[in-house]
Amino acid sequence: MIDWSKAKPAGHWQLPFEGAWPTAVALLPSGKQLVAGNEKGELFVWDLPGDLVAEVGKNETPPLAPVRQLVGHENGITRIVALPGGHTIATASLDHTVRLWDLNAATAGTAEVVLDRESRERKAKKGDKQANSAPGVTVAQQTDCVVLKSHADWVSALALSRDGSQLVSGDYRAQVIVWDVASRAAKQQWQGLAWNWIVALAFTPDAKSALVSEVRYKRDDFDVPAAALRVWNVTDAQVTLDLLKAQFPKYDPQAASYEASQVWRKFVAAGLVAVDVSPDGKLLAAGQGGETDKGTIHLLDATSGKLVRSVGNHQYGVTDLRFTSDGRYLLSVGRDTTLRVTTVADGKELLALNAPRGGQFKDWLSALSVSADERRVAAADIAGLVHVWQLVDD
Amino acid sequence: MRWSLNTMAIGFAVLAASALVSADDKPLRAVIDDQVRAVWEKEKLTPARPATDAEFLRRVYLDLCGSVPTYDETVSFLADATADKRATLIDRLLDDPRFAQHQADIWDMILFGRNPPGFDTDKREGIQRWLREQFAKNTPYDALALAILRAEGNTLDDGPPMFYVQYRNQPEDVNEAISQIFLGVQLQCARCHDHPYETWKQTDFFGMAAFLARLEVVTVGKANNLTKYAIGEKNSGDILFTGPAKDQSPGKKGEPLKPKFLLGAALDEPPLPKDFKEVKFEANKPPPPPKFSRKDQLAAWITQPDNPYFARAIANRVWAQFLGRGLVHPVDNMSPANQPSHPDLLAALATALRDHRFDLRWYIRELVNSQTYQLSSIGGSGEQNPQLYIAARTRPLSAEELVEAWRITTGYAAVETTSPPKGVATGRFRPLESGYMLRFFGQPNSGTGDFQGGLQEHLYLNNGPLRNLLTTAKGSLLATVSDTSLPIDARVERLYLALLHRPPRDVERQRMSEYVSVASAKSDERWAEAMWVLMTCSEFRFNH
Amino acid sequence: MKTHCGSSEHLSRRALLKGSLTTSAGGVVMNWGGLFGNPGWAEEVQRQKKHCILLWMNGGASQFETFDMKVGRPTGGVFRSIATNVPGTQVCELMPHMAQQMDKIAVIRSMRTSEVDHPGGIYLMHTGYRPSATVRFPEVGAIVAKYQGRPGKDLPDFIKVSSQGDAGAGFLGPRYQPFGIGSKGDLPPFTNSSLAKEVESRRHELRSFVESQYTQDNPSQLARMHHEAYEAARRLQSVQQKFKLDAEWDKYRELYGDSGFGRRCLLARKLVESGVAFIEVGQSSYDSHADNASWHKGLVPPMEQAWAGLLTDLKDRGLLDNTLVVWTGEIGRTPKINNRAGRDHYVRCWSTALAGCGIKGGLVYGESDADGVEVKDSPVSEGDFFATIYQSLSINPREENFAGVRPVPLAPFGSKVVTDLLA
Repeated sequence: MIDWSKAKPAGHWQLPFEGAWPTAVALLPSGKQLVAGNEKGELFVWDLPGDLVAEVGKNETPPLAPVRQLVGHENGITRIVALPGGHTIATASLDHTVRLWDLNAATAGTAEVVLDRESRERKAKKGDKQANSAPGVTVAQQTDCVVLKSHADWVSALALSRDGSQLVSGDYRAQVIVWDVASRAAKQQWQGLAWNWIVALAFTPDAKSALVSEVRYKRDDFDVPAAALRVWNVTDAQVTLDLLKAQFPKYDPQAASYEASQVWRKFVAAGLVAVDVSPDGKLLAAGQGGETDKGTIHLLDATSGKLVRSVGNHQYGVTDLRFTSDGRYLLSVGRDTTLRVTTVADGKELLALNAPRGGQFKDWLSALSVSADERRVAAADIAGLVHVWQLVDD
Repeated sequence: MRWSLNTMAIGFAVLAASALVSADDKPLRAVIDDQVRAVWEKEKLTPARPATDAEFLRRVYLDLCGSVPTYDETVSFLADATADKRATLIDRLLDDPRFAQHQADIWDMILFGRNPPGFDTDKREGIQRWLREQFAKNTPYDALALAILRAEGNTLDDGPPMFYVQYRNQPEDVNEAISQIFLGVQLQCARCHDHPYETWKQTDFFGMAAFLARLEVVTVGKANNLTKYAIGEKNSGDILFTGPAKDQSPGKKGEPLKPKFLLGAALDEPPLPKDFKEVKFEANKPPPPPKFSRKDQLAAWITQPDNPYFARAIANRVWAQFLGRGLVHPVDNMSPANQPSHPDLLAALATALRDHRFDLRWYIRELVNSQTYQLSSIGGSGEQNPQLYIAARTRPLSAEELVEAWRITTGYAAVETTSPPKGVATGRFRPLESGYMLRFFGQPNSGTGDFQGGLQEHLYLNNGPLRNLLTTAKGSLLATVSDTSLPIDARVERLYLALLHRPPRDVERQRMSEYVSVASAKSDERWAEAMWVLMTCSEFRFNH
Repeated sequence: MKTHCGSSEHLSRRALLKGSLTTSAGGVVMNWGGLFGNPGWAEEVQRQKKHCILLWMNGGASQFETFDMKVGRPTGGVFRSIATNVPGTQVCELMPHMAQQMDKIAVIRSMRTSEVDHPGGIYLMHTGYRPSATVRFPEVGAIVAKYQGRPGKDLPDFIKVSSQGDAGAGFLGPRYQPFGIGSKGDLPPFTNSSLAKEVESRRHELRSFVESQYTQDNPSQLARMHHEAYEAARRLQSVQQKFKLDAEWDKYRELYGDSGFGRRCLLARKLVESGVAFIEVGQSSYDSHADNASWHKGLVPPMEQAWAGLLTDLKDRGLLDNTLVVWTGEIGRTPKINNRAGRDHYVRCWSTALAGCGIKGGLVYGESDADGVEVKDSPVSEGDFFATIYQSLSINPREENFAGVRPVPLAPFGSKVVTDLLA
């Protein structure tokens, strides 16, 4: 485990993944395999060297090509989670499915893919006549996967219990489904508020509950969409804690009232699109997404639901966040193309990786993932690449 | 000589007028009546009877001052037995400060309309004040037009630059507006193609627009939360002429076109020095004048006495202001294809106005003293602007006039306190809100100038806050008519004289008496209803 | 251009100088060509009044998320196509209800218009003209009110329900000004009388007496118009129930969908039934410069369900044959998805739709290229769009009105009626 208080980047690599926006990423626990997915539904697996710094240099992008393509999803990938076993991932997609992929499974055939199409075109424009015709890379294709099919709309959120035994997924019809990974069966499900979208999910450490964030864009003029941030007992599908109610006792999510609009103005902003639960289960984190001015992350008491503090230093909204395993820091990525490490206790920023690209609304980092030892961090970047950072603590 | 020059320039006959202008001893008002009568006789038309004193009184008050007489003024005028009382009244009203205000209102509408284009043009107190001052001191019209066209100073401290501000960076639009307002001609068809019926060609349109191509609106300061704008003029820059609109294609670049006076000579323009460097206007600094101002050349040409369009355009425009229909109608479409109804008369008016150095007050005095103006409005076939002036025109009161008429007739203006009660609007329209009045009464006409009225106007009249005008303070009309110590007959008479400026007819006297005489604890409610009826009826709504 | 100015001179000389063409309605006869060229036409219109409902997508709905799907192309976005009740025609998966109404509507996939920003676009797609410093062009609603309105009835001819556009009646004058209803059917200021019925009634009688005194020997057209407008304002008092929906909503909630827009569409249908010539119903906030997919995912489903409900309801009541339903906003959206996941303004190639009143159902007119960047086939300008709308409503698009002396045809000079859209 890394000592986060001393963490600093030792290397930074950028894997090209062009053609459609990378939207999801997961490092396998070992940190030596990486899976990334994009808006078109393409999924690739890369093998990473054990020591990137020694093998390819500090910041020079390794000449790494994906080794495997996971073929099956028919629309954009929204989330990828890596199971603890070390060779299985789960993916959620706009194609209404969740899929489980065993990366040790047999492949069926190969394909030639080009993941640096835009870079080649830029080179061609500058006069490199070979750029566009250069061969792509050959990847093995895997179609073998388990398809979890109960959703009837975009599956937009996916989370894994700490022990890897349960998945929870949510969609754009406000349906939440809890899956038993071993049997691949839906063991519980419930519905959020009418018209809402499930945009973020996280299990509590004991896996008995899940934190669920719901929002939607307004359906009509003067509409104040119903936001909800609630803890549900996954056994009986009952709400055990309503975090917006805890902050705003008079809040009626169904009313397009002034109070309801204040909840958005003061707390939800453009939607709480990223959530996590601290390793000790005592704190809940919910980050504001969208094009809000500042992607504030609310830290809430898991018992009372009250706001403990609001932290975060992103410009515009966050897109993904998670606690470090020591519970002392929050990692987050957002629409300012940075990955920030924020101290939970006081909101101070420990570290910012990557820099804003300048100009208003210039690209996003869309997802983040860490290896089991937390020494390797990955982030998907809509500019057509996946970042991998090697962290050290000496 | 002068006239023959004009004839050549504009290409239609005005020669017959020379016979008339020689009759210098005959006042213009008589020239008007003679000419108008001659056409009636030729067309075998019977004119309406002359307006009664009451009809004349209200009409001339509204036309000159945008207001109506008070009860006392009405009574005293109707009782006055002197023969020249109408002329005396006209003289008095022409010197009234409200005359300047009203003419300024009219010119504000000519120059801007209710919803002018451009940014910040809805806050134009500067030019509104400036116009008021010009009419108060009777600035000759050529000088007034010249000042507007030269646009010196800034929009707040001076005023005139606001005219160009509305057409920010659009020389074609300014050209259209200037041509219509000051020359009385419509060039806009020639913006896209050579005109098939008119004399002007597309190059005439752009030749005129070229005078205005170098103008730039410059922000020169701020005061009272308003921005001061000035009109800067660059030393270089040309309008690009691309030929007929139908032949346009993407990427086709235009040819620079030099300024040319309408149907006249090209501008003689000194060349720019070789080492010339174009100035860049800085914010908050008055823009330096150009070495040679095209705009000023155009302004001088438009307003010079022998400009072939200028005098005719203003003579015709002001005629229509008082007589309804222009001798050339509409007033901004003087062209060979649109001949005047009374060509000799128009020529005579233009000449006389020019010979009187564009003295508008003199000109207006002649118009409203004419018998033609002083006909009754009853007698035509009910049109807004009866043909060939056989009856006086009928027109809706403007929003400003309507409120002022309510304020005067109800006695609100006479009894209002210096500080109105809380929640009651202040400003010119008090106690009503200017926003609603302008929205519902600001543009009562269609695009061809015909009154339409509309649903919204009546919703406001029926359900709006007119009751706020019906003060019960001592001296107000409501207080007076509901004073039971006076005989009912006198009170009904007062009601009509105050609101409609005429005594009631017998049938009206009777009906109104019945209406208000119902035994009721709150008799002033009945009177208030009766007042509402007279305040919203057609006889009140229109100047007739 | 020759026809344009030619007829202007014709009319301005004869009509304006001599005043011989002023009508009993107090305006100049505007339908020069129509009336005189085709005498049967006016009678036909009198027999069968037409109506128009404009569904206004304010901000500019995306063609890629509605009617012009480019699935699999770089510009296509994340939504998928679904089949419709017209074989071979597909629409966005966000529109399952409209997919079952495609046999009733004609989609135009080849709009190419000339104002790319909101104020100009809103003006353009309400009037058919670009904003001008010198002419106040009337909105389509005012034009339909003028040519298909029924003077003397209780409700205004042009009603806007929570929508946009401030060109209003323009130079057509206050008589054709829109009557604006709020998002919940709330009425504009001063619509309600606070008087007791008997007070209003006696006041009215006195007023009628006073009016008759003025007009007994004076056939003033102004007074007549003034009085007619007064009567219209007064009649409005008795029909305000027409704007209330609460009692009926439960019955229609399922058909129109549980949304504000659905309620407003139901109101539009009721107003058509009450004889209103033109009703505009607005839905806002399509300006998705960021998060385009989410915004459309929020806005399109309630809109399309209401629209489908409206078409079904009109059809069931036999009203669709005489009611044109127009679906448009001021602009379309860019093929390229920007780095805010948004689509920006785009008018080189976008989609609108028409239904009812002689429009061919089941038709897709025009075509965009593979990525929706350019019109590939049969471009439709704003002028063509409005010319087609007027034609469908039995209004001659070449009819002229006057702004001062300037003759202004209803649809801009040079526009063509897209006859393929008309049955």
